[in-house]
Amino acid sequence: MKVEEIMNKKIEYIEPEATVYDAIEKMVDKRIRSLLVNPKDEQDVYGLITVRDIVFRIINKNLNPRKIKVVEITSKPLVCVAKDMSIEHVMALMEKFNIARVIVCEESKVRGIVSIFDVMAGSLIEKAREGHGA
Amino acid sequence: MVLKDLFLGGKKELEVIDKMKKHMGFLCSACTTLKAAIENRDKELISSVSDLEREGDIVRREIFSNIYEGAFLPFLRPNICRFVEIVDNALDVTKDAAIEYTDLELDEETKDDCARIADISAKMCEMLLAAIETLSGRADLREKSLAIRIYEKRVDEIEFDLIKRLRTKEIKNFWEGKALSDFIHDLTSISDLIEDASDYLQIINISLR
Repeated sequence: MKVEEIMNKKIEYIEPEATVYDAIEKMVDKRIRSLLVNPKDEQDVYGLITVRDIVFRIINKNLNPRKIKVVEITSKPLVCVAKDMSIEHVMALMEKFNIARVIVCEESKVRGIVSIFDVMAGSLIEKAREGHGA
Repeated sequence: MVLKDLFLGGKKELEVIDKMKKHMGFLCSACTTLKAAIENRDKELISSVSDLEREGDIVRREIFSNIYEGAFLPFLRPNICRFVEIVDNALDVTKDAAIEYTDLELDEETKDDCARIADISAKMCEMLLAAIETLSGRADLREKSLAIRIYEKRVDEIEFDLIKRLRTKEIKNFWEGKALSDFIHDLTSISDLIEDASDYLQIINISLR
């Protein structure tokens, strides 16, 4: 199975100067667990902020999410994959870099996002299809 | 020999299972055709969906006749009939969605989401067809059933965002809004019905143990 079949095209962005609280609000409203962080300037690259970052690095340390900027806990650079890459390859990348999300890029544009849950779901579908061509 | 061989191995039973696969095949084709119609904005394909639904009706009647002529033990018949009825309902809503699409002009983003829903529904059909084949074999249905539930969840997610976005869209008149609302409702009901059918297949499978 290819990345294209499991990737999520619903991507939400946030500015690096926004507060972590803004990010939390956006994640709750949109029912998502990560946000892509826009580059600060032309030399900068996209970053990623996840629920995991917020819980472990802010909430668990009793820091105030209203006083911390997204840029302070953004992960960079992102691991990008092509949409025709196999999910086995994506799994290997996730294990190698100990990450739960990869970004799907095409001609230096972000096309989608693949989470570890998507990979699990995709591999289960692939297993169910085996021998049936479904 | 297991119960399945006793209950599914007879000539009449195999005939019904073959017809159930044929019936499902019509649903798969209808979903694939609807997807192509939406994706390519090709409204000429809509009549093909109606034709497939009519063909499906014929096969459904044959299945019911075969069952009441003695195929399967009586305790299995209601669940098999219910399964066939649900698949037939899915074919009906696919046809309804296709007809409602006739007068709609979808914006690019909505068109992409609707084509994606139709595509996932087609994949769910293929998985359900594979599950019927599993029923007549010895393998477990659980994997297929889980895959269908994963697909259904994806449709739910797309539907949630789509409806949220459409609520902000300006509607020029009542009928335009109603047609769009009915279309989205029917399009997203296909996956719900396939999931229900998959649950019934699981019940049939369990009752054969």
